[in-house]
Amino acid sequence: MNERTDSAPQSDLPDGVLTVRAAEGDDDAFAVLIHRHSQPLYTLAYYMIGNAQDAEEAVQDAFVSAWRRLPDYRHDSEFRTWIYRITVNRCLTMRRRGRPAIPLEAVPEPATDDGWDSPARAAEQKAAAAALACALGNLEGGQRLCWVLRELQGLSYKEIAHVTHASEPTVRGRLFRARLSLKEAMAPWR
Amino acid sequence: MAVDHPLSPDEELTCGRLLSQVWDQALNPAPAEDPHTMTCPSCHEAIASLAALKAATRALRGQAPTYLQSLAHGVMNIVRSEARLGRLLPLADPVLDLRIAESAAAKVLRQAADNVPGVRAAACRLAPADNSDAADGVAVALTLAASLDRPLPERTDEVRRAVIHAAERTIGLHVTAVDITVIEALDPPHTPDPPSPGSAPPETRDGRPRHG
Repeated sequence: MNERTDSAPQSDLPDGVLTVRAAEGDDDAFAVLIHRHSQPLYTLAYYMIGNAQDAEEAVQDAFVSAWRRLPDYRHDSEFRTWIYRITVNRCLTMRRRGRPAIPLEAVPEPATDDGWDSPARAAEQKAAAAALACALGNLEGGQRLCWVLRELQGLSYKEIAHVTHASEPTVRGRLFRARLSLKEAMAPWR
Repeated sequence: MAVDHPLSPDEELTCGRLLSQVWDQALNPAPAEDPHTMTCPSCHEAIASLAALKAATRALRGQAPTYLQSLAHGVMNIVRSEARLGRLLPLADPVLDLRIAESAAAKVLRQAADNVPGVRAAACRLAPADNSDAADGVAVALTLAASLDRPLPERTDEVRRAVIHAAERTIGLHVTAVDITVIEALDPPHTPDPPSPGSAPPETRDGRPRHG
């Protein structure tokens, strides 16, 4: 069965084609989808659940669930939106089991050194990112979810509405309130 | 200066722009600057008030928590233990009654189609041509994404030949029909090197696979 030597790679295929193949039992096509979407899903799960181990478990469960449901997948939404939705549902279930939902880093203070050398700037950026992660952990869950999907992962309002089972105005409202709270939390870093 | 929209709260700046719009532009600047934002004092003020959040958001984007490769391995172990084989199809050897799983055969046939330039296979279903007699072979139904830089009949004929060849020579499966449906248009196949005087063309255009 090894007649061909350089078959066309699947890694450049669009999600739609890979999804059709995976639905018919092509596990290699599904592996490409996992490779393509694991990082953003893991980031989302991490900010929703608050720790690495549970985030990994949530994403694994979501992919396994997707594999089992693929034969019935109707292609009325993009694979990305569909797998995000499954992951969000999984994270919400895990949170209901009573696990902590707040990222656990201590709140960093803004650096007092205002030097312009790049190591200081890099450290400052890292600390600001950690402060923002912490502020995210203090947001209401729905606001945090919308903010991560929009600002860290670039989903459209429509996609977020579909993923979070909410209307588009509700999504916009949550983002507005999230931005207001985060702006206040980041005020000392101006 | 700012008002709430009844359905989805947002701030309307004095210039009429919504804060969410100004924020989106500041965080994800378009290649060409918006002339309004460049000169509008209220947009400038709004962007300045969000500067710390914008910088932290960009920094956070660059520091995504890294997941372990064990995540993908763990999923694939379960996926492979729950293989969906599909129906078992008769090989062209009725004496021994050999069969192959539909999913395994489909994988080979998709690859054969993929090797035709400008074509990527999506669905590939195989069904016994006549349930009463295994020797009758199988019918193949294929959906394709194909580029439109050549006439489709020419390209689908080539796919049909490649699929039949792979089925009969690689698998040992007798094919009675290959039903092809083009469902999506692809960009034309990538040509690795720009043509230069005196150089050979990168691939033949006579309908043969790149690596026969």
